[in-house]
Amino acid sequence: MEETEPTPVETVVPPVASAVVEFVSLDPAVVGLWRLTSLIASGFILLPSLAFVLFVGFAARPLMGWLLAAWFGLAAVRLCMLVWYPKKAFAAWGYRIDEKVLEARSGVWFKVTQLLPLSRLQHVDLHRGPLERYFGLASLVLHTAGTQQAAIVIPGLKAEAAERLRDQLVAAGGDDAV
Amino acid sequence: MPSEPPPLPEPSREPTPPVITPPPIPAAAPASRTPARRLHPLTLLFTFITIIRGYLIPALIVLVVGSSRNNNTTAYILLFFLVITLFQSLVRYFTLTYRIESGELVTRDGLIQRTERNIPLTRVQDVRIEQSVLQRIFNVVEVQVETAGGTGAEASFSVLARDEAERLRAEILAAAKPGQAEAAASAAGPGALPADETVRQLSVKELVLAGLASNQTASTMALVAVAWGFADDVFPNLHDKLMRRVEETMLRLNEQGMEATWPVYVFGALAILAASIVISIIGSIVLFYGFTLTRKGEDLQRVYGLFTRRASSLPRKRIQVLKIEETIMRRLFRLATLYADTAGSQLAEQKSAQEGRNVLLPVVLRAEVDGLLPVFFPHLDPAPAEWKQVSRVAIRRGTLKGGFACVLLAGALLLVQGWAGLWPLALIPVVYVVNVMNFRHLGYALGEHYLRTRRGWLRRATHIVPIRNIQAVALHQTPFDRRHRVVTLVVDTAGQTYTGGAPAIGNVPIDEARKLAAELTRRAAQMKYRWQ
Repeated sequence: MEETEPTPVETVVPPVASAVVEFVSLDPAVVGLWRLTSLIASGFILLPSLAFVLFVGFAARPLMGWLLAAWFGLAAVRLCMLVWYPKKAFAAWGYRIDEKVLEARSGVWFKVTQLLPLSRLQHVDLHRGPLERYFGLASLVLHTAGTQQAAIVIPGLKAEAAERLRDQLVAAGGDDAV
Repeated sequence: MPSEPPPLPEPSREPTPPVITPPPIPAAAPASRTPARRLHPLTLLFTFITIIRGYLIPALIVLVVGSSRNNNTTAYILLFFLVITLFQSLVRYFTLTYRIESGELVTRDGLIQRTERNIPLTRVQDVRIEQSVLQRIFNVVEVQVETAGGTGAEASFSVLARDEAERLRAEILAAAKPGQAEAAASAAGPGALPADETVRQLSVKELVLAGLASNQTASTMALVAVAWGFADDVFPNLHDKLMRRVEETMLRLNEQGMEATWPVYVFGALAILAASIVISIIGSIVLFYGFTLTRKGEDLQRVYGLFTRRASSLPRKRIQVLKIEETIMRRLFRLATLYADTAGSQLAEQKSAQEGRNVLLPVVLRAEVDGLLPVFFPHLDPAPAEWKQVSRVAIRRGTLKGGFACVLLAGALLLVQGWAGLWPLALIPVVYVVNVMNFRHLGYALGEHYLRTRRGWLRRATHIVPIRNIQAVALHQTPFDRRHRVVTLVVDTAGQTYTGGAPAIGNVPIDEARKLAAELTRRAAQMKYRWQ
């Protein structure tokens, strides 16, 4: 069932110095999706907090200026998250499949690169939420048997591209296990 | 075999789906069916004892409260539940059967709602046998069969005759590895090992040492020290007062005997310390008495326990990560503890520790460890002469971080205690030294089949990860990391319950980390391909 003698792998399969595969970007439409979700989140954060500010502000007039300033600060941050951040996140995102290893990188401030040997792939979920469907997008969730990186999510793929990628991944993983 | 279990990637974390099929149609049973086996009749006795024990306290409460209120309803309710529980266990005893057939362990139980569970033997991670004192008298045992994923055992047989349990375990383990003979034959090459061997036995003396050098002792000492420091804050000049008081009391003691106050506290603290050490030693002996680690073919078997005897077996290929831990106390005695993770059970850590399940070898001389490792990892590369170090910025960053904490603390204490509160600043050189030493002992070594990492100066941990068990590798980079062009490399494995998993290596120069990550994942991907 399992190995009998772990033969040195290197002698069998010479390390292929193949042309480095370039990182593939996500679908640009994902910027729109992220902006929309950010807008919705901003609504949930800013409107109640504005109500709170006005409520407390009218109760204690001297505080009004400070509270409003704080609220505008928060609003500015949210605006930033709405306009600037999705673009940066899009630019940071990329994935590539190279010699049976999937590599995904992301992160604007905190950068993460995840490498996944495709033979370790347990199963792949194709996820399409209502907003994703509206933008014609899908996310792939790649599950491993690991503990910390148990699931690697690649968002913002064109629906057909996601399906193709899934089939490719499953095939590559399956090949290995035979 | 009509349906081979799908060739999933090996260390599957997905709970091996214990296939629950509808009750089989008797007519369809093949003629070659192995006979169904049942629990030992003494099961009834032991279940009864367990149930009675569970109901003892509620019953006592009901008796006490009930008698004063003259109200028997609660007693009847209790009786009702007792009868139901008894009935359930009777049903379980009379309906539970198990058999091994076509590479599966099949258990079946239930009267009205019948359950049949098929556990592919290749998926079995561990077969544990436990025997309490009472069970020892009757020569029966409890058996638990564990697969990857899920919590607790997939199948549990309580109780079986001892011989039957041994037979069951041997059958499961033999069937779990059809290639075992082959493996043994091919192992006759380099690093040939005898087919079976006793890897290590622990003497009482070693267990005493283990108890003495346990963290429990250390933490009690720390507690006493903290209590002492706290007392010093609350009562300034405690020491002087104490000494005067001791003198006075000694004088007074001579006169009247029992009026001592301060000495009582001091002796009390010492007594607590001594008691905790004794308890920890006793605990170590009770849990691990007669600890024997043997290797039978590909299996590592542990047997231990003074009152409750525990036996477990662990196919060595299933070791996901191995950790050599040397706590400060252990280092004083030059001892180490070995932990191993499988993809198997994920019990609560505390319970595992109580049952001694988390450790592969509770205590061993550090110098012996390197000699033992090939038993766990057959093709382990020899210990590296030189560990690959991370970037030296680690020292600066660690010192800055620790120094900053010192400055903050000093600032806070300055407000409270005046100039005397600046003492944390004196710790900054210490912080620097600790960081330098930690840096020197932090490193990794990439062998042919294994990745080793080590860290810590005072308190050390060495991890060994078979590369074929690597599930994923991640590189994390904070904005600060980016300034130093370093990343933290995290190796992900299937089991991380007892070893903490493969540790994250921080401050690795980014290009080196990228190369290492690519190398590790590429090899992991290929090893699967070669080895299946």
